[in-house]
Amino acid sequence: MGGTYTDAVFIHDNHIERTAKVPTQSDNLVETLMEAFDKLAIPDEQALNQITVSTTLVTNAILQNRIPPIEMLLFSGNGMRIDALPWPVSYHELSGEMDFRGRETEPTDPTEWEKLLTLHLRENPANVAIVGKFSHRNSLHEEQLATYLRRINPSLRIAFGHTWGQANFHRRSLTTYLNLGVTDIYYDFAQQLQSAISARKILAPISILKADGGIVPIAKLRPIESIYSGPAASILAALTQNEPTASTIIVDIGGTTTDIGLVLSGVPLLSSKGAKIGPYSTLVRSLAVRSIPVGGDSAIRTTDQGFVLESYRLGPAYCLGGTLPTPTDAMRYLGLIDYGNERLAEEGLATLLPVERRTHECLQELASAIIDSVSEKIAAAVDSLKQEWQEEPAYKVWEVLHPQESHTFQTLVSGGGARGMAVALKKRLKTSVLLGLYPEVSNALGAAMAKPTMDCTLHLDTYMKRYRVEETGEQGTWSGTLRPHREVESFLDTLAQQMAKSYGMTLEDVEKEPFDFFPIVKGYKTVGQIVRGAVHLRPGVIGRIHV
Amino acid sequence: MKRTGILFFPAFDWSLGESHPEREERLLYTQEQLFEEGILDLPQIKQYSPRVATLHQGLRTQAIFPNPGSYKDSLDPHLIAAGSAILLGEARVRGDIANGFVLARPPGHHSGATVWGNRGFCTLNYEAILVNHLRARFGIKKIAIVDTDVHHGDGTQDIFYHDPNVLFISLHQDGRTIYPGTGFVNEKGGPNAWDQTLNIPLPPGTGDEGYLYVLENWVLPRLKAFAPELIINSAGQDNHFTDPLGAMKLTANGYGRITELLRPDLAVLEGGYSIEGALPYVNLAILLALAGEDYHHVHEPQKQDSPALSLAALKPYFEALKHQHQTIQPRFTSQSKTYFPKGKWIYNPHSIYYDTEGFQETRHDYIRECSECGGTVYIESSLSSQKSGLVRIPFQACSACEQAGYDLWDHLHHHSADNANGLLQNQLHDKLTVWNKKEGLSEF
Repeated sequence: MGGTYTDAVFIHDNHIERTAKVPTQSDNLVETLMEAFDKLAIPDEQALNQITVSTTLVTNAILQNRIPPIEMLLFSGNGMRIDALPWPVSYHELSGEMDFRGRETEPTDPTEWEKLLTLHLRENPANVAIVGKFSHRNSLHEEQLATYLRRINPSLRIAFGHTWGQANFHRRSLTTYLNLGVTDIYYDFAQQLQSAISARKILAPISILKADGGIVPIAKLRPIESIYSGPAASILAALTQNEPTASTIIVDIGGTTTDIGLVLSGVPLLSSKGAKIGPYSTLVRSLAVRSIPVGGDSAIRTTDQGFVLESYRLGPAYCLGGTLPTPTDAMRYLGLIDYGNERLAEEGLATLLPVERRTHECLQELASAIIDSVSEKIAAAVDSLKQEWQEEPAYKVWEVLHPQESHTFQTLVSGGGARGMAVALKKRLKTSVLLGLYPEVSNALGAAMAKPTMDCTLHLDTYMKRYRVEETGEQGTWSGTLRPHREVESFLDTLAQQMAKSYGMTLEDVEKEPFDFFPIVKGYKTVGQIVRGAVHLRPGVIGRIHV
Repeated sequence: MKRTGILFFPAFDWSLGESHPEREERLLYTQEQLFEEGILDLPQIKQYSPRVATLHQGLRTQAIFPNPGSYKDSLDPHLIAAGSAILLGEARVRGDIANGFVLARPPGHHSGATVWGNRGFCTLNYEAILVNHLRARFGIKKIAIVDTDVHHGDGTQDIFYHDPNVLFISLHQDGRTIYPGTGFVNEKGGPNAWDQTLNIPLPPGTGDEGYLYVLENWVLPRLKAFAPELIINSAGQDNHFTDPLGAMKLTANGYGRITELLRPDLAVLEGGYSIEGALPYVNLAILLALAGEDYHHVHEPQKQDSPALSLAALKPYFEALKHQHQTIQPRFTSQSKTYFPKGKWIYNPHSIYYDTEGFQETRHDYIRECSECGGTVYIESSLSSQKSGLVRIPFQACSACEQAGYDLWDHLHHHSADNANGLLQNQLHDKLTVWNKKEGLSEF
């Protein structure tokens, strides 16, 4: 789903059989989806194996601030001032602190808790988010407060920070808040969609596309993880048209926005930080994508120095009946595309020049300059993305001595402006350029071909006898040895298998990160180990599309 | 926006031994703390990724004996720490950042002008390598180094002892009570750089109050008088009251205040071995102070079990120390060899113990007294039967000293019977020549 249109694609044996496009009704997404589904006119609906949806539901709910009231209760502890980072939500700070290994350094103070009990919290099924600094190390304080609150009001809906098991108290707090805030909206949607599909006696499971480019069964999604699935879908769509191990710069040129991503030896680059949505920094894993406000329909205005590409759209291109010249008019004038009225393109561009310079030569020059200016903006975003990748921090000697291998990139351009920009991008990016197929349904194509992703990161402290799993927030007791080797490998395997099972997926092509072992020393004696290890099911596609 | 650079390189796959204080675990909890605080999300903080220094950058400052090749593998982590310091230093000089924190392992400030191995957990001195890099590449003339590690920065002192353009100040626990046993007020600099080294030994038990008093009343005025273009802080964290090696009583907040007062262009981690009780909090406080954020809410969970020495008790000690420092007069011995170029050569024989390796280096240092420049330095260094020589032509060398350097170098690799290795450190032209009896000359 996009803001304006919703695309659909029906794929059989890696062939695109049907495509469809319908306008998005932002107040009824399920109806929109079913309309697109109907428009595909799939011959034997009941024989479908899989339905995948990429939706803007959660993104829009957040950006339009459709979040119900949530009581945010924080064990914020000492350290950096809490307001050093922006908090777009209000919160209460409570006593109680853990340290970086999950040891309690200050107990909670239940006398403070009584003061929280407004009538709303006492009686209504209110939303409460409880987050503690280092709660991903030890959830004790969060659990204590929840137990207290539930005893007073069992109908409370409580979300815990520790279920987002990565470090970063600020992001963990906002992620917990947002996820709770969109839960109702999402589950209503999921239920309606499931009923609509079930009503047609279709048994195929429904999956949702996540920001990291992976899919997950509709009932298992943590709603916040579905933000930014659109750009992820564009990247996956490109993967379906590529050699499996190619390194590719992906440029998806839309009407007002261009999305840019990187694929390294067949694997899309993940962002090293969690996604940011509106004013909220989160822990949501997402593909590294740059979205820049430039596209085929960007308005162009004259200035003293010539022209400027605006970051907005004011209707369609001049050559398609609009009122302002756009890059699309430049493409049309230069004959790079064949849609739109050629005479109107000329007329539109001419408005950017003084009367005496409205010659063919000057118009040619202007149109080329417009195209170059678009490709310059795209190239700057490509460079910034490459820089992010190359400058990822390294924390080990080995990593510094073995830097990222260099890749020979090709560029895959898709979207409405693809054909018009191909030559200019080839020149500016100095790579070969391929045109993406099916630009009109690339989001749907990417979603349909997406594979499940899964990450299972184990942190084990054998001295504290505690382990935890970053992705689920699971915390447990370790009963194994103080210095495990083989033991910890099979332990992680078991955890990963359990996680996979809970998502109803099988673990194939798993990437295992080498374990890090940190001996814990007390008084010059080794008393235990901290062990970190992870398995990943990286984002990818189930196959290549045959034309 | 005033930006603060951070280069966090915890070297999670390197140690000096499994239970050694300088081990993989050392910055693990600091990482947890910094990440959990979300400090890297502050808009003014910019994280950099590490880089490896070249041997040229190392040899410009330190003679690596018997030859750099003999260390090949084990130099890597040290070259990364040095390269990281250089990267952030360049960012500072270019104006990309207003200040920065090189939060890297391993440390370096015990490593001196000549290197035979690891001592005091240090092999290469990365503040010194950084300082000379910025001078060589960016033409910076005056730099001050303030060493706030609990141990005397003897290696840094050794490297800059004859350099009139580098002010070296070290505040540390009294050398009579702690490694390396040096850093007394009478160590004030060589003949051409007298009073450019300031050592302030502090009694064990000194806390925030006493430390900050010395900083405000002695260190800051001295810095102001020198007017350096850059201030580098060797930010060791072993003055913290929980440190297992030191006996001082500083707190994380105290370190925040030190940083705020010193306003270093770059802070560089040195020692600090209370990896759970101090480092996560001290590193956080330093970084917050550099970034202009409030550090007063940073509290280490542990409480001091006994109070620090009171300022009233310390003041008389400081007064006496300052008086002693002011009244000390230079006393140098001059001595030269028959083949020495003309001039007055100051002679200083001494030895350096490598505690990590368990061996002792014998040094004979000769400095050409000069009123125009830092003076050419000639160091004969030996480890048991291996003899090596270092000739250093300093930055801004006068022509007489430059010529003296070439003459000595010529003698070293042509006529000296007992030397097996040598380094010509021509800082004036940034040219480095390594000589080896078997392999001859090579440029680095």
